[in-house]
Amino acid sequence: MAMSPVSLSADPLDQSWYEASARARLDALVDPGSFEEFLGPEQRVMSPHLPAFDLPRAFDDGIVVGRGSLGGSLVLLAAQEGRFMGGAFGEIHGAKLVGLLRAALQVRPAAVLILFDTGGVRLQEANAGETAIAEIMRAIADLRRAGVPVIGLIGGRAGCYGGGGLIAGTCSRLVVSEGGRISVSGPEVIETNKGAEEFDSRDRALVWRTMGGKHRRLIGGADAFADDTIRAFRDAAREQIGKAPAFDLATLEAEQARLEARLDLFGDARDATEIWSRLGVNDPAAVPGLDTDRFDALLARLPEAPHDAR
Amino acid sequence: MADWRVQRKARDARIERGRVHAEGKLVAASAVVDLLEAVLLPGDRVCLEGDNQKQADCLARGLSACDPVRVHDLHMVQSGIVLPEHLDIFEQGIARRLDYSYSGPQGARIARMLYGGQIALGAVHTYLELFARYFIDLTPNVALIAGVSADRDGNLYTGPNTEDTPTVVEATAFKNGVVIAQVNAIVDRVPRVDIPGDRVDFVVEADRPFYVEPLFTRDPAAVTETQILMAMMAIKGIYAEYGIRRLNHGIGFGTAAIELLLPTFAERLGLKGKIATHWALNPHPSLIPAIESGWVEQIHCFGSEVGMDRYIRERPDVFFTGSDGSLRSNRAFCQTAGLYACDLFIGSTLQIDLQGNSSTVTTNRVAGFGGAPNMGSDPHGRRHPSDPWMKAGEEAGGTGDPALRRGRKLVVQLVETFGDKLVPAFVERLDALELARKLDLELAPVMVYADDVTHIVTEEGIANLLLCRTLDEREQAIRGVAGYTDVGRGRDHAMVEALRARKIIRRPEDLGIDPLDADRSLLAARSIKDLVHWSGGLYEPPAKFRNW
Repeated sequence: MAMSPVSLSADPLDQSWYEASARARLDALVDPGSFEEFLGPEQRVMSPHLPAFDLPRAFDDGIVVGRGSLGGSLVLLAAQEGRFMGGAFGEIHGAKLVGLLRAALQVRPAAVLILFDTGGVRLQEANAGETAIAEIMRAIADLRRAGVPVIGLIGGRAGCYGGGGLIAGTCSRLVVSEGGRISVSGPEVIETNKGAEEFDSRDRALVWRTMGGKHRRLIGGADAFADDTIRAFRDAAREQIGKAPAFDLATLEAEQARLEARLDLFGDARDATEIWSRLGVNDPAAVPGLDTDRFDALLARLPEAPHDAR
Repeated sequence: MADWRVQRKARDARIERGRVHAEGKLVAASAVVDLLEAVLLPGDRVCLEGDNQKQADCLARGLSACDPVRVHDLHMVQSGIVLPEHLDIFEQGIARRLDYSYSGPQGARIARMLYGGQIALGAVHTYLELFARYFIDLTPNVALIAGVSADRDGNLYTGPNTEDTPTVVEATAFKNGVVIAQVNAIVDRVPRVDIPGDRVDFVVEADRPFYVEPLFTRDPAAVTETQILMAMMAIKGIYAEYGIRRLNHGIGFGTAAIELLLPTFAERLGLKGKIATHWALNPHPSLIPAIESGWVEQIHCFGSEVGMDRYIRERPDVFFTGSDGSLRSNRAFCQTAGLYACDLFIGSTLQIDLQGNSSTVTTNRVAGFGGAPNMGSDPHGRRHPSDPWMKAGEEAGGTGDPALRRGRKLVVQLVETFGDKLVPAFVERLDALELARKLDLELAPVMVYADDVTHIVTEEGIANLLLCRTLDEREQAIRGVAGYTDVGRGRDHAMVEALRARKIIRRPEDLGIDPLDADRSLLAARSIKDLVHWSGGLYEPPAKFRNW
């Protein structure tokens, strides 16, 4: 058993992030017993729109928000439940996150952690959802300016798509696992609009090497790569809080320069493996098969690696 | 003076006509239609190799492109109806009669064509039954087979998916038939000789590699907690109790869950080395953690599985491999092994009736049988004892001198009370009966007959049918594990409790299993990626199963 290459531990911290529910992630992520939920399911704050479509509602509208301690420091947290409507942003769902971020401005926690697991805005309440996305980005900017880091953790089944992908772009730091995906348009959306020749959504290896955690980490779309365990996300989150950059003109100018350079360098590439090759990866085809240790070792060897700014 | 060589002369004539389109034995892909039209005669019995996995697809396309004026009224005798061309030829008039075993992907179309009278059906067989008839009354005149490579003499390398090929060739080549093989490549020297060249008359270099269906890959990410609970019950209540070491698994998620619980749940019960050591099984990726943890001594395979080739090559102590290192599978031998040398078969089904008959047909689909009924039946020709077989025989109520008592094979149905789309798995009457009436079949297509089933496992518990002494007890034992289906709700509660007291019905708590412990964290692998890690990177899953 000790030789098992796959963790068989029953410790909540060793559970798969990808498999865990939003609540299980939060419970194990913070110091034991410290999570305290705001507007919990017992208060039944639910979507006012879904009944019009004959769709079932959730008592928490698919997002859990609250406070807890992480290594002894106060943090505020929000976790999307990817199994309820793909973790999509509706009016209540969005408002709970906006409220949490605005409260953080008063409370001044050590950080706000957003556990993304979302396909984007909920189509049935799109206007409210889109408004929420804008309000969330505004609230994150205000918080960061006030010196509170906002860390995004991405490794759920639904990935981080649509408005979720936009919000992730405004965070101080992002942690991603291999199963996590970050993008705006999802694979099916691209295929529907541009055809299967442009992007075959059923080619899962293509989807992951274009939007998956390793690719995002390699090109600086995420700042840390974590194993698919709650422990790994916890460790990475703590580390990234300490590394969050200042939110000032210098950072924004550096970020602009970084993104321009990235576009110059990779803008004409046809496949992620081409990008990795230009980054200095000797054997791009082997990247998807690397485990976390070997992937981290690869990152450390790359001349262009760590991509700061944000 | 009688001529005893009529068939031999006819065969020689066919080969001579075919040689016009060949260079020695070699035929270009572009000449397939000419070759087939030259060799085939109207009314011929033809085996177009359609296995569970490997398909002679180039030859199938060629046959479908033949001129129905020249090639017509063929009698197809093949195990699998898998490709569209397998049925196109009936619409075209090229073929007329059909004897087969399995038609999974074409099950709906074959049903429509049977209703429409486009196919004259002989029978739907089990694999061994059809193979047996190849040697008695369904011997092919022409066999169209598939391999990976061949040399110029026709020596054939079938690759890991040998499957039905040796059986088909044996019956055809040694009884005045003509064997035509398609291969992916002509080589100077084949890696190993699976079929000797003197049994192969023509070799076609196919325009593209033959198609193989990944039928046996179950993504651990899709295993549910209900399936895990059922797997825990099967391990503790059946595998451990009977000491099942020699077994065959079906291909469902329930049995995949059992495979994934061996290194965890079963290991904690101290069962390693005591159960699940010898297998008749395709190389299921979900068995990798158990193999890597040292649970499995050996596995004989019906066929191979896409992505498992490198892993198998590196584990020759476990698998049957050739001198070249690759897997050697053989459906006929493995079916025989599963029938006679395994003490347990466990598989899923779509419908079970009140007696325990089960079927996978619905009124609109004729999926056929494949191999499950061979494995899922009690072989009356068996004579060697083993502890599980003897114990089951005793439970079945053998009387008289124990030395004259017949043992019993354990045949276990593992089903959730409600299947896909919440369709109940327990029914008063099988859809197979309605199908038989509509198609005017003499026999309803029953997958496993009631008198062969020994146990039914559902999320509600285990019913041990061996211990039932009357038909009424048997019906209540089945109702007693049928959950909230109509059949389950129709139970006699007092009788079910009495059966439970006699251990004919056992609930999870009777087995010391807490349903709340049925958690995905018990799975030795929770994703395809985990399986790759377990294999040390040797397992190479097909793209559709990847999320990295």
